[in-house]
Amino acid sequence: MIEVTDITKVYAGKTVVNIPRLEIRQGETIGLVGNNGAGKTTLFRMILDLIRPEQGGILSKGEVVAGHEHWKDYTAAFLDEGFLIDYLTPEEYLYFIGGLHGQHKAQVDEFLITLMEFFNGEILQRGKYIRDLSKGNQCKVGIAACLLQKPELLMLDEPFANIDPSTQIRLKNLLKELNKQQGTTSIVSSHDLNHITDVSDRIILMEKGVVIKDIATNSSTLKELEDYFAVGQIERNEAPD
Amino acid sequence: MLSTFVNHELKAFWRSKNTGKSVAIRVVMAVLILYFLVNALFLGVFLDKILEAVFPLDDVLVSFCGILLLYFFFDLLMRMQLQELPTLRVQPYLHLPIKRNTLVKYLAATSLLSAFNIWPFVFFLPFIFKVVIADSGVAALAFIISIAGLTVFNNYLALFIKRKSNLNGWVFLASGAVLVLINLGDFMWHLYSIRDISYAFFGRMVTQPLLALVPVGMCVGVYYLNFVYLKRNLYLEDLGSGKVSAYKNSTEYPVLNRFGKVGDLVAIEIKLILRNKRSRSALVMCLFFMFYGLIFYLNPTAYGEWSKVFVGMFMTGIFIINYGQFMFSWQASHFDGILVSKIKFTDFIKAKYLLFTIVSTLAFLLTTPYVYFGWRVLLIHFIMYVWNLGVNTTIILFFANRNQRRMDLSKGASFNWEGVGATQFLVSLPLLLTPFVIYMPFKFLGYADAGLVILLVVGVLGILLRPWFTKKLEEDFNTKKFGLAEGFRNK
Repeated sequence: MIEVTDITKVYAGKTVVNIPRLEIRQGETIGLVGNNGAGKTTLFRMILDLIRPEQGGILSKGEVVAGHEHWKDYTAAFLDEGFLIDYLTPEEYLYFIGGLHGQHKAQVDEFLITLMEFFNGEILQRGKYIRDLSKGNQCKVGIAACLLQKPELLMLDEPFANIDPSTQIRLKNLLKELNKQQGTTSIVSSHDLNHITDVSDRIILMEKGVVIKDIATNSSTLKELEDYFAVGQIERNEAPD
Repeated sequence: MLSTFVNHELKAFWRSKNTGKSVAIRVVMAVLILYFLVNALFLGVFLDKILEAVFPLDDVLVSFCGILLLYFFFDLLMRMQLQELPTLRVQPYLHLPIKRNTLVKYLAATSLLSAFNIWPFVFFLPFIFKVVIADSGVAALAFIISIAGLTVFNNYLALFIKRKSNLNGWVFLASGAVLVLINLGDFMWHLYSIRDISYAFFGRMVTQPLLALVPVGMCVGVYYLNFVYLKRNLYLEDLGSGKVSAYKNSTEYPVLNRFGKVGDLVAIEIKLILRNKRSRSALVMCLFFMFYGLIFYLNPTAYGEWSKVFVGMFMTGIFIINYGQFMFSWQASHFDGILVSKIKFTDFIKAKYLLFTIVSTLAFLLTTPYVYFGWRVLLIHFIMYVWNLGVNTTIILFFANRNQRRMDLSKGASFNWEGVGATQFLVSLPLLLTPFVIYMPFKFLGYADAGLVILLVVGVLGILLRPWFTKKLEEDFNTKKFGLAEGFRNK
């Protein structure tokens, strides 16, 4: 699905992403973890052609991403509120996104019925613009817009961060279903190790721009990750001595 | 505290994405201001001679007192169009142990640092020192105090009107109309004479210098008004979210459905304009410029036919200039979303063209009543309308590809006051001058009609070549988009 070859990104003389090789196969669910500044969002942006890497390239379904638009047909992403048109009502925004993929209003409405539980009655027909919604509800709109596009590749940057616990659990179920029923490939980043090991079958751990672990999820993965993040803590605390 | 704010503002200026452009603009502005100051100084030094020549029957002092009020009317009108509002991003300071009064005082104090506040002194002080001081030193002091008072009064009144009108464009329209009506009442309808009123006040001041306290009082009043308004605005956001706001309906523009995806994009942008204060007032401000024709056409002898070319372009194209020059910053907050969505950039550009065409057509229709001044006026307006659609749209989109400054429409709208100001007109200067470069040579050679025909032909060519320009703009955009996206992410 996605092939990353030799990409580096440098900001102010500091390498923030450096990945010699990374392949993501069709139907995989990837969990991307790492502390702040690990380069997760930068990697997302490069896959979406929002940032130009200093060198190297990214292929999506075997075709070059940079400078092309073919990948937009089957890719949906929600990284932050910058992806939402905030002066629209959620309905208007979702109709707009649906329209871009050739769906008319009735089709969009039909799809939204399946998300009723996820929305928990806080999104539709509330008479608010997206900018007046809380951060968590904005996040729900962004995720809904992604699902609406019936993507083959789905990318979410820290989707669990702003939503309430019930919605977090619903989102996990949605992601699992999507992968099982439609074979959607997904890349989700998170700081919540419980959730992310629960929904992904492969975990990619980044540190300072480099992939340091790339493992298939099993029963011991969570422990392994917790150890990694905790060990880092102890080492750093003891370093001055 | 004051120095900290200045320090932060300077850092914001030097560290912004557009520093190069801003510095260039500042330099040009400084040169222009200096040029006008020298002119004003020259006029000021010879003001007594000039007044003698213009009003040979009156005493110089009488004429001087007569023009003072007129000057300040004119000053206010110019300030409303050109003076820039001081800005400070207050949000980061609000929760800190800094008094709100300090913030407001800072904004009030920095607004005095405008070139507009130097002019009256350069213009009038030489006269006062040459003529008035010979009569009575106390009277001279009274004049200086009252001129200072009126200057500061105008300063704060203009800023107050501009701040209000940034939130609601109709305020600008209404105050502009009032000022124009006051002047028309004198010069058109001869209901009263501003000069007489001015003399009635300033003439009396020669014998009763204490009257100078009246302008000072006015100035304190309007300062207080400004102060209270600004202070209240520090809370505006809390107030806004606390209130039960009206139910926001989803809307549709069925007409635009005929244009497919391009139409959808236009519909989205129309919503952008109508649902955000700042863009909405930019649109309403365009209505104000519909009256520009009156200024020129009521004095046909003073202005030649070139004025029709200028006014025609300005009135039918003001939206392109006013709204277009901030493109694509209007969409800065969701630019990443646009880049990632399934939107072809060709459609994106076509949508901009369509939007400009719709609004310019409306503007052209609004200017049709000017046919009262002759069919030729309408004809020239039409030619300039075609010119706007053919040439100015493309130029403005070319510059839009280079504008990386983020503009936040949703947040802090109340303190987001870059808008109509001198810099804005400076940027649009090339747009305003190009038609003259073509038209004027023909005019001087006596073939004004040929000049108009060429403007029309170029305009039509521009419209016919739009597909080609769209392609070029797209290629250009693809090389610039990373810079744009990065700039817009820069909060």
